Formats: sequence, structure tokens, C-alpha cells
Amino acid sequence: MRDDKHTGFAILASILAAGISSAAFAQSAADLVNDNKNPKNVLTYGMGYNAQRYSTLKQVNRDTVKDLVPAWAYSMTDQTGLEAQPLVHDGIIYITNHNRTAAVDGVTGKEIWRVVHEYPPEVLRVVCCGIVNRGAAIYNGKIIRTTLDNTTVALDAKTGKEVWKTKADVDFNKGYSMTVAPLVANGVVVVGVAGAEFGIRGFLDGYDAETGAKLWRKHTIPAKGEKGSETWEGDSAETGGGSTWVTGSYDPELDLVFWGTGNPAPWNPRGRRGDNLHTNSILAFKPKTGDVVWASQTDPFDPFDHDGVNALVQADLTINGQVKKVVMQAHRDGYLYVLERATGAFLNVNKFVDMNWSSGWDAKSNRPILTEVSFKAIAGEKVEVWPSLSGGTNWHPMSYSPVENLLYINTFNLGMNYYAPPPEKAVAGQRTLHVELTPIKPEFQGHLKAVDPLTGKAKWEIPFKVANTAGTMNTAGGLVFTGQLTGEFIAVNSSDGKILWKFQTPSGIISQPVTWEKDGVQYVTVGSGIGGVYAMRTAAPDVAGVPTGSTLWTFKLHGK
Amino acid sequence: MKRLCVAGLLLCAGSLFAVGARAQDQADLAKAGFKIYDNNCAQCHGDRLVGSGITFDLRRLKADERPRFENSVLNGKNQMPPWRNVLKPADLDAIWAYIRANANE
Repeated sequence: MRDDKHTGFAILASILAAGISSAAFAQSAADLVNDNKNPKNVLTYGMGYNAQRYSTLKQVNRDTVKDLVPAWAYSMTDQTGLEAQPLVHDGIIYITNHNRTAAVDGVTGKEIWRVVHEYPPEVLRVVCCGIVNRGAAIYNGKIIRTTLDNTTVALDAKTGKEVWKTKADVDFNKGYSMTVAPLVANGVVVVGVAGAEFGIRGFLDGYDAETGAKLWRKHTIPAKGEKGSETWEGDSAETGGGSTWVTGSYDPELDLVFWGTGNPAPWNPRGRRGDNLHTNSILAFKPKTGDVVWASQTDPFDPFDHDGVNALVQADLTINGQVKKVVMQAHRDGYLYVLERATGAFLNVNKFVDMNWSSGWDAKSNRPILTEVSFKAIAGEKVEVWPSLSGGTNWHPMSYSPVENLLYINTFNLGMNYYAPPPEKAVAGQRTLHVELTPIKPEFQGHLKAVDPLTGKAKWEIPFKVANTAGTMNTAGGLVFTGQLTGEFIAVNSSDGKILWKFQTPSGIISQPVTWEKDGVQYVTVGSGIGGVYAMRTAAPDVAGVPTGSTLWTFKLHGK
Repeated sequence: MKRLCVAGLLLCAGSLFAVGARAQDQADLAKAGFKIYDNNCAQCHGDRLVGSGITFDLRRLKADERPRFENSVLNGKNQMPPWRNVLKPADLDAIWAYIRANANE
């Protein structure tokens, strides 16, 4: 009896000890579900499964932000762009770039560990848009990330030691690469691929988060003979693009992952007539199986590289007096799409920037109404198109304020002269766009806009000569944070668009800011490090002279 | 005298034609080079060779720096991948012609 009691106590003690140690390093499925409700940590891409990038922290607010000062900066020892969103767990920051993953003490800025990842340099031949990585996922004590050579690796969050590594069975010589931040949903790591400029056939992969074992693959484009293959001319589907390079969002109640698919390939549409399913679509699928529950296409037969991968932000919106659970996308094509999460029904479609390729949304056929510009472009005539291939906005994620009911979007104000000559045959692995383009750049090339999700209209906007390509983040302190390609990290009044605070970081900002808390102090963290295709092509030479070199910056109120 | 003059004119016209043809060849080569550059190089080195200072400005390459150019393209350099076995010698000729046609000096 006594022994039993003793044994029972020992078991209880060991359970408690295990409980405590795992609680200290858990990030269980439940922790991830509650990420948007726990402002101390940032455990998911998007600062919550709903990807709102909204924090309830308000120590840093419209009154106190003038006292925001840098606490430390950490060098990534690298000259490439720093596009990643940091993760934060219990005051420790996890940050990635193309070949490094690091854990940094968020209070002191001291490095805890750093891992350098090797990949074959030849893979850079099929990297369209900058030598970058977009961030990691965290789950049960593991930091999980992708590398450019289509490998997903899980590291021990305490030590950086490799736990598992899974290589997607595709050949990078055929155009495939990975820059995506993984999404862990219901115990499954979901990753996507880039390469729609190189004639890939896009897909999503699901891996077991504990072992890395491949659970499923879901192609975004049907194989020959499969349903949907009739929406492609000849054998054009085989090199049809439909990449999946931006992280989706997850609704744990519906157990649905939402993920945007990219443009059809090549950009020249004249050899792939048809709707080109499921490019430029929003997919909703079950994370355990990859089974697609609905797929809603926004741009059938897209000639303009209006790559539909942008962030998918969830919210509860009141539409015609009814509360609707929606997922929203500010699309490169210039429309702000509001869809019902359960069904994929288009509830609201309004433009959020000027456009001339479409004159509105046809709610009966659920298709954009095309203008002469689109018809002429498809017919091989030279046209001026708005927005350009860079889009009304690009991949850099927007944020949503449930308090102001506004979306904060770094938009582009860019057009292009476009001509699609008679098409050539696409070859997987070769960058063959088959269009001739010249950019049209007005004096102000972008805005930070506060957009009403149901009208697309801006409550306020700030013009920028060089467009911003950083994400936005907003807080209960009434602030929107974002960064400029020229390096300024700014805090803006979320209600009226006044810039309240500014800090010059050493390089351009193309990452996503986050905020978190440790021991009663609110911190704001952002990466600085210019790179990415927009800075290297479209914004050149306006950003010539912005120094390269990536650093991670953390700020707090003076005296805290 | 007359014959000489005619012969001279012919000679003169002939060499002018040859110079013109060579220039035309170079222009065609540069045009082909633009296409190869636009597909493979522009995403890092900028539209029409105009970059943002993040990568090397190819317009700085001088007439005698073809070996330097070729070494970087074939073997890679810093963040640049090696293009050996992908870009052919004729492609290199074309890209070089395009760069030289737009070079600073």
C-alpha cells in the first residue's frame, strides 16, 4: 500500500515534471490555435492562424510611441534580402534567411544558436525573385523551415540540432524552389513551391510534423485526363505554373487551410487557352489529407502574371446585417476578394487600386468582367495595363484591425506596356515568359492604405515615391507598423494615417514586423536587409545607394 | 585613271559595306543577348542592365574584361549561380555584345 502510494506519487511527480518541461517548450496544437489571443508569443506566420497580424498589446501606443527606442540589433551575416517574419516563444526569437536559422535572446539580442544550411548553388538559376526565405514554423519544440532546394528541415528549438529533414521529390533543374514559411495545421506541416516563371506544375505537400514523413501531395494543376485538364490547351498544363509560394491561413473550427495559387505559365497566354484551373485560385483543404473542399478561381486565363498567392486574412464581418466568417485577399489583380470560409462563395469583390483590365466583378458567373485591354492583350496587340505584373499589392502581407475594421495594405501604383507575341513552347526549368514588358512608374509608386474590406475604398492613404514591400502589423495601441525600401521603420496612427514615429534602419525593409511581450515589457521586432525582385528590378534605380546587409532590430519604450 | 578610280570606289564601297555588315551583326547579336539577359540575368542585375546597387552593375565591365565576365557566368560568384552547361558559348557571345553595347565606357 505504502509502496503503491510511493510509486503513485513518483509517477505523478514525473508527469508533473514532464508537464512543466514540455509546457516550457510546448507550442502544442492548442498553443498555435490560441496564438492570436496570446500576445506574448508569435507562434504562427501571420501572428495567429487567422493571419490578421493584429496584437492586443498596447504599452506602445499613440501616446508612448515617441519613446520607442532600439534595444539591440543582430547581424544575419549576410548580403541577401531579409524577408522572413520572426517567430517569438517565451522571449526567444527565431529568424531565418536563405541559408541561416538563428535563435536570439529577445531581451538582450545575444545569439543562442545559429545553423548554416547548405544547398547547391545551381538552384539559384531557378530562383525568380531574390535569394530569400519567408520564415519558419514552430511546433512541439521544433523550428521548421524550407530551403531553396525544396527541402524542409526541423531543428530542435533549444539547440538548433536537426530533428528531421524531408526533400520534396522534384528536380530543381525543372524550375522548383522553396522560399515559403511552412504552416503547421492539425499536426501537419504544409509547404508550397515557387517556380511559375520556370514552367513548374505547382503543388502543396503535407508532412507529419513529428517525423517529416510525407503524408500527401496535392497538385494545383490537373494531370492529363484528370478533371480540369480540359481547361488547358494541348499539353500546356504540364508546364502550367500554379505555384504556392506564400503561406496560407488556417481555421481550426472548420479544420480548413486556405492557400492561394499562383499565375499560369508562361505569362504569354496564347498557347494555353482555357480557364487554366486551378491557377490564380483560393483553395480550401483539410490539412490531414490535403483533400480540397472548395476551390474558387479569381482570374481565369490570366495573361498578366496577376499571381494569386497573396495573404489570406480571416475575420468575422457584418455583411447585410449578418455576421459572416470570411477570408480576404488583396489580389495582385487589384481586387479585394471577400469569400465565405465554409463554402468559398464570393461575398464581396471591390477594387482597392486603379485598374483597366477589368470593369467589375460579374456575381452571376463569378468571373471578372474583362475590358478591351484584356481582349487586345490576349489577341497579341500592344496594350497599357493597370495594375502591372507587380500588382495592386504584392506578396507582402496586409494586416487587419478588428477594432477599426480596416485592412492595412502597402499598395502599388504601377502600370506596364504589354505585348504577347506568338507563343513559343514552354520548357520546364527555363525562364520563358514570352511577353515583352516595360514598366510605367508615376512619381508616387505606392501607398500605405487603410482599406474598408467591404468597399475597397481607403479611409486614409500615405503616398510613397518608392513603394513599400514590407508587411504591415497593427496593434490595440492604435498603431500600424511597416517599413520602407529606403530603410525607415515607421509607426502610423491606425485611425487617421499620421506617421507618429520613424527610425532609420541600416538597409531596406522587406520583412514583416511583429510585437510580443516579456516580463511586462512590449517589444517590436523587424528585419532590415534590402533584396527581393522588386528592389532589384522595378524599384531600380530609385533605391540605388541603399546599403545591403541584413540585421534584425528590436525596439521597446525608453526606460522599460 | 578612270579605272583606278572605279576600282577605288568599289574598294571603298566594299569596305564600307563590310563595316556596316559587322555593325549590323553586332546589333543583331546584342538584340539576341538582350533576350537571354532578360530571361536569365535581369531578375538580379536589373531591367535593361539598370540595377539598384544590390548586385554588380554589368555596365561597368570594360572591353578587356571578357575573361572576368566569362569566369563569373560559368563558375558563379558570391550569390550568383554557375551557368556552365546551361548557357552556351554563343549565348555568352550574345550577352557580352549586349552588355558592351550599353557599357559605361
